[in-house]
Amino acid sequence: MVSERVPAGEARHLGQRERFDTLAARNALFAVGDVITVRVRRADGALAAFRVPYRKRMRVLDALISIAENEAPDLAFRWFCGSKMCGTCAVRMNGREVLACWEAVEPEMTIEPLRNLPVVRDLVVDRAPFDRKVEALEPWLERPAPYPGFPEPLTHTTMKGASKALDCIGCMCCYSACPVIGLGDLTDFAGPAPLVQLGQTALDPRNDPGKVARSLARTGIFNCVSCYKCEEVCPAAIPIVTQVIEPLKAKAALLVPGMAKHAQALRAVVAERGIVDPTALVLRVRGLKAMREWLRALRLLVRGKIDPIKTLFRRNTPARAAAARLLRKDRS
Amino acid sequence: MYGVACVGKGAAPPRLMHARPGNAISSRAQTVSLKWAAMQVESTDVVIVGGGAAGCYAALELHRRGVKTTIVCKGLIGKSGASIFAGNLVLSGRALGNSEEQARNTAEFLIKYHNQFLIDQNWARGCAQWIEKVYYPELEEAGLYLRRDNHGNVVTSPGKVRGVAANLQGNSGVPFMDLRRKQVLRAGIPRLEETVVTALLRRPDESVCGVFALNLVTGEYRVVLARAVILATGYSDRLHARSTGTREMSGDGIAMAWRVGATLANLEMQWWHTNDIADPPSWQRMQVYPNPMLGSEKSARMVNAEGEEFFNQQQDDPLAYGPYTVQLKALARQVHAGKARYDGGYYAGFDYCDAREVEAYTTYGKAFRQLGLDFPKAMVECAVTAHYRQGGIDVDTRTMRSSVPGLYVAGGLGGHSNGLIGLASYDGKVVAEGVAGELAQLDTSALPDAEVRQETLRLEALRTTRRDGVAVAQVKDKLRAIMWEKVGVEKSEASLNSALEDIVRIRLDLLPRMRLASTGRVMNYEWLDAIDVTNMVDACELIVLSSLERKESRGPFIRSDFPLQDNVDWLAANLMIRTGNGHRFAKRPYQTPFFQPNFDRKPNLAVSW
Repeated sequence: MVSERVPAGEARHLGQRERFDTLAARNALFAVGDVITVRVRRADGALAAFRVPYRKRMRVLDALISIAENEAPDLAFRWFCGSKMCGTCAVRMNGREVLACWEAVEPEMTIEPLRNLPVVRDLVVDRAPFDRKVEALEPWLERPAPYPGFPEPLTHTTMKGASKALDCIGCMCCYSACPVIGLGDLTDFAGPAPLVQLGQTALDPRNDPGKVARSLARTGIFNCVSCYKCEEVCPAAIPIVTQVIEPLKAKAALLVPGMAKHAQALRAVVAERGIVDPTALVLRVRGLKAMREWLRALRLLVRGKIDPIKTLFRRNTPARAAAARLLRKDRS
Repeated sequence: MYGVACVGKGAAPPRLMHARPGNAISSRAQTVSLKWAAMQVESTDVVIVGGGAAGCYAALELHRRGVKTTIVCKGLIGKSGASIFAGNLVLSGRALGNSEEQARNTAEFLIKYHNQFLIDQNWARGCAQWIEKVYYPELEEAGLYLRRDNHGNVVTSPGKVRGVAANLQGNSGVPFMDLRRKQVLRAGIPRLEETVVTALLRRPDESVCGVFALNLVTGEYRVVLARAVILATGYSDRLHARSTGTREMSGDGIAMAWRVGATLANLEMQWWHTNDIADPPSWQRMQVYPNPMLGSEKSARMVNAEGEEFFNQQQDDPLAYGPYTVQLKALARQVHAGKARYDGGYYAGFDYCDAREVEAYTTYGKAFRQLGLDFPKAMVECAVTAHYRQGGIDVDTRTMRSSVPGLYVAGGLGGHSNGLIGLASYDGKVVAEGVAGELAQLDTSALPDAEVRQETLRLEALRTTRRDGVAVAQVKDKLRAIMWEKVGVEKSEASLNSALEDIVRIRLDLLPRMRLASTGRVMNYEWLDAIDVTNMVDACELIVLSSLERKESRGPFIRSDFPLQDNVDWLAANLMIRTGNGHRFAKRPYQTPFFQPNFDRKPNLAVSW
């Protein structure tokens, strides 16, 4: 149990601290000359093992460069800047997404390509599906009024959300970590990285709301399950869920109400009853269509997932007043 | 449509394993089956090589004028190259309440500190006016967020020369180039990414008419024919053991332009960062920014091995907004006193500042924290890194035309100024106007079969020949070590001549014996390295020859055998001109209409800039 107050933005590192796995700890794990074991997923699908001598303050990228220079000159991995700006060197290290140039090495590392994107060769993934998604969202500014000239009136208070999203380097760590993207074509979810790219202009007060609505309508944003996997891996430390996706959802609910049917129904049910009543939720979301799915309804009934009797006759629960109060507060 | 002429039947055709059409980006591209290979050939009005600030702006300007362009980028547009590294945006003219004095200071900084007078001052004046009147409004209108405070004021760094930042200081290049990338996408400008131009193609009259390229992802060749070619491959490269350039920068622009006969200027004027973090090796361009901080009167300070401060920009030289030369000279004095080395043993940081003060508008604390250092109390060890090259390809600054018809240059590759993201953008504008103005006199060419065939054979030989030779990475490392040791911060005729001998040995002995581990075509970075290292050898040799020619010290160019800065004989462009049997040098004096050096000869280390 952590009793101290957690500073803003640090919540994600709590687990690491408990495991004594902070950056400082990992930076101090090695002495120069120690040998690191690196296993790399190669193009043939097998893991190739290499032993790399530790160099001062070594990053994952240094280990890969060392392998390519000394042992496997044909190892394919993409990188340009080596200083957390180009966002092209992301890989998975021991199962989690990292930016190779930014992450300290570990004594035993398994390096694999990012998930959810086609692998071109070894650690290089095809960025084209991401590029196409971003382009389809048209993440640019359309001004509702003519540009007033430099410098235009604008405060950081109104730009805060967009400003966070502007830290995005398009490294695709979040895209690889996202379990909803992992479902493939089952949903039309654009994914965290394209949403952050969209957030750069959609959360910008200078953008035309109509334009933002058109973009948001193509995001499938309500498929996001707010699991925070994206935030956990973001090397730029962007609060992706709390400061980008949630504000975008709020915008979508306002500008494209049809998209938020489920979320709004849930909210209405909770406000009305103080609990999540599955029957009421199903009826509100599916409407009369729910009747046609009577077989499924029967199944839910048998399993005790829905309880129409309760729904019809027990509207007043003690939680009702509290829920209504909280939701009112939230809205203000 | 394209002249698929019969070519020399004697030579054996190279084996092309996967000769099939690549992903067609331009609808005009078509697969041409030549006798020796199948490749995509397309034609456009202007082909732009490079996807940084200069290349993107040129493409957008030409697009606005209805000129068809294709961008060919060795990396990814807006993500590779040097432009993403722009930490700050300098305010010029009277922008954002700059006083008359501050406007003059910015100009003086640009001409003196940033170019040591090796600059066309009229070009610089036009550039400053454009930055003030057009550049900032254009960027902001397109959506660039110039950092505001909560009251709506644009946050600037105070002082004699002021700067602003896109979102965060230290990271301005990232949203800036991301914006350019999206502008290019939105305009629908055809782009070939991760595609390396390996040769400029020429018409029979030797004018440039297109490029030969290799798609690194698929391993397929691509020819783009055009009425004009704009080279915008950037200012920097990885020619030294420590370099600020991105991975893919290998002096390609210099080497390819020289091969088609372009005149070069001031190639020896290599700039250095003294404030890049020494370890890890891959962080060699991670800076402890020395520039004035946004919203604070302070700047980073540097201390020697004994903990004595030897540089603090805002205190030592407030006019030096980008203080790299002042800093380098301060370090040189420490090195001479045995209190620092060029490859380490000195430290930089913000230990006298408050963390909140530094991090209000900057990214500066992040690298320290990532290394597990206590920010801002801890200082971090730094080392010198090769940075900008002030020189490059000689251009007519009114049109950016090189000495070769059909070949234009924009951005840091040009020999007319040191790089800066604003200057590179201005070049994009000038070159677009220059090319558009001269386009009527430039024709599309038929496919130059012989050149295409020769280049195909060269690249195939690099890929497939397996000899009992050296690994490509070793050749690269060796070359970079030579450049670091003998063509580093301080050089002399002896060290340069020794470097020249070493480079010639690499060219004759190692280059022909390079061995690739894999002959695969897809994402074969070793093949790319083999192509790169050939360019690097050429570029290095040209740089060493130019360095031998300039017999003075000037700014960051330090010759231990010629320690004086010589404004009588060397206030001049050091031109390297290609001749039938080699090269010759020529001097072209600079005019100094607005700012003049106020001495004839003086020890360079005694001059602040």
